[in-house]
Amino acid sequence: MRWILALATSLLCMPAMAQVQGVALDRPVALPAFVLSDQRGETFTQADLAERWTIIMFGFNSCPDVCPFTLGNLEHAIAETALRVRPDNVPQVVFVSVDPVRDHDTVTDYAEFFHPDFQGVTGARDQIDTLVEATDSFYRLLPPDATGYYEVQHSSAVSVIGPDGMLRAKLQPPFDAGLTAEFLARLQITYRRENTR
Amino acid sequence: MIRLLTLLALLLPTVAFADGITIGDPWSPAAPPGARAHAAYMTVTNTGATPRALIGVRAEGYGMAHLHESRDNEGIATMVPVHQIEIAPGASIALAPGGFHIMLMMPRAPASETIALTLVFADGEEVAVRAVVRPHNAPS
Repeated sequence: MRWILALATSLLCMPAMAQVQGVALDRPVALPAFVLSDQRGETFTQADLAERWTIIMFGFNSCPDVCPFTLGNLEHAIAETALRVRPDNVPQVVFVSVDPVRDHDTVTDYAEFFHPDFQGVTGARDQIDTLVEATDSFYRLLPPDATGYYEVQHSSAVSVIGPDGMLRAKLQPPFDAGLTAEFLARLQITYRRENTR
Repeated sequence: MIRLLTLLALLLPTVAFADGITIGDPWSPAAPPGARAHAAYMTVTNTGATPRALIGVRAEGYGMAHLHESRDNEGIATMVPVHQIEIAPGASIALAPGGFHIMLMMPRAPASETIALTLVFADGEEVAVRAVVRPHNAPS
């Protein structure tokens, strides 16, 4: 009888399980040194990852649909997370433009438009590539059209960095606010357990 | 009566009717500063008896406007131009974040409260639509 109940319960839970919002890495990855900066020249480096949770998203400012949608969804998800974790555990959100040529003067305004605390940074190509590779992310600038406009393909998932500066998880679309917040809160509980042993 | 007229006037910018085509909730999230492109969304319903195809769009105040589709190919966000969206009789298509959308490029000025769009159909018909600009954090 008990196993039938368990089976019924697990079947009931399946629709929720089908929508995976995040994946925790079995083996967290240490991030290398990098230097990026916002449009005002303030640097954002590996040191800024210490002692706080960070969410890093790659994108570009000319992105009409997916980037605004993702940043808007992250804003909702962070607001939900703030209801579940201590204030100093609310992740900082960093938007990294992979299109510095077009975005170096606007990237910070762009990110702050979605939330005043969101950071927008970009930088030299090799520094962007360092962070992209270290977080197992991807981007590609497509060839320009006749007007010189070019499209940028990029990873849709975003990276979650722990207070130890290690890549610990990936969040995936659709970034449902409640489920993403739940995932982040659980990730933090697991992290604290592992680090207080 | 005046109240009814006011209500109609309020509703008119958001709903457009044409021969056999109904547009629902045309809107555009306010564009972030520095955005050289942003998007507009709506539903397009074919209330007629024959299949229709949306083949293009024009936008007042923009250098270019395209029909586009965002796709997620194994974790890579990609956009592709769409040349034609078929709408069967009685069917609706949704232009919505993360999918089909109208891509508005090269804005000549920051968008005001509404954006004047013209949808172009394969049979030559054009439908004028006013998309309402909403703050990015407004409930959709």
